[in-house]
Amino acid sequence: MENNEPESLETFRTSFSYGTRNDLNFKFFKGLSDDEVASFLRTLLDELGGAYDTGNILPLIEAAYAAQVAGYTPAPDAPPPKHEYSSGPFTPLDIPLTKARVGLLTTSGHFLRDDDPRPFGETAMTQEEAVARISEFMASAPVLSEIPSSTPASELRVRHGGYDIRSAERDPNVTFPMERLREAHADGRIGEIADSYFSFPGATAQGRLRKVLPEWVERLHDQDIDLMLLVPV
Amino acid sequence: MSVGHVARAIEESGIPTVTIMVKAFEHRARELRIPRTLIVKHPMGRPLGAAGDAARQHEILDAAFDLAQSATENGTIIEFAAPFRPAPAHT
Repeated sequence: MENNEPESLETFRTSFSYGTRNDLNFKFFKGLSDDEVASFLRTLLDELGGAYDTGNILPLIEAAYAAQVAGYTPAPDAPPPKHEYSSGPFTPLDIPLTKARVGLLTTSGHFLRDDDPRPFGETAMTQEEAVARISEFMASAPVLSEIPSSTPASELRVRHGGYDIRSAERDPNVTFPMERLREAHADGRIGEIADSYFSFPGATAQGRLRKVLPEWVERLHDQDIDLMLLVPV
Repeated sequence: MSVGHVARAIEESGIPTVTIMVKAFEHRARELRIPRTLIVKHPMGRPLGAAGDAARQHEILDAAFDLAQSATENGTIIEFAAPFRPAPAHT
């Protein structure tokens, strides 16, 4: 800290959301009260103390999960959401799954190693740069990456300024279940898989997204898909 | 939030969708009336399960496929019962 003022708990907890202590797994601290963050940290440390002997980190994971859900879930007295609908479309799946051609679209930010969408014209933008430029992503139109469903996992790259991509880097199926769909097809659980899958970083301008959606939907129809699996991140 | 707009547009165009979403975002599924949502009790960034846990990833996929076949109306939300687990190799 630059000054000698003691740091407030509020400053501390909000620093995890794109601030000095940015941590995409814990940016939800911003959505909790000071008391809730203090209580969570107390619980976490207590569970850690227990784990010294047992080696069981599940209680820590469960505590972090519960706090994350609380951090993102709007309070009952929160202002109404910007986008809210009282009804929505529904298209029945009218063929058996074992005959259905399944597509995949995720907001995980995957792309082919040799087909970087080059956000803002940047070549080889890193994850750290994407995190630093999250506000620009949130104000820009999304770019949809097309990924052949036969792509080896080693040819995939992932970049998304809104979530911790370490898990997806270790195993793309965590947010882009390409290999699992291939296996489901090989096992006969689904009839076919689409020739191409799609991904974009979901941290994007919602109005601009809605403008490009008609064109995206046309591209999906070109794939002759019976069921689309969607994975938001 | 993006997936809500995407799901609605695809479904409106005549292709059924099924969405796998972490619990932290469940309110989005309700607000945006996503057609069919499988809620998973996982940390954000790991909707299909832990890295390397292919067995759990298949269970989640199959639960999503079941939902795709069983749902009869927009806004159907089902919760996958099991909590998150680290990949067996890491426990």
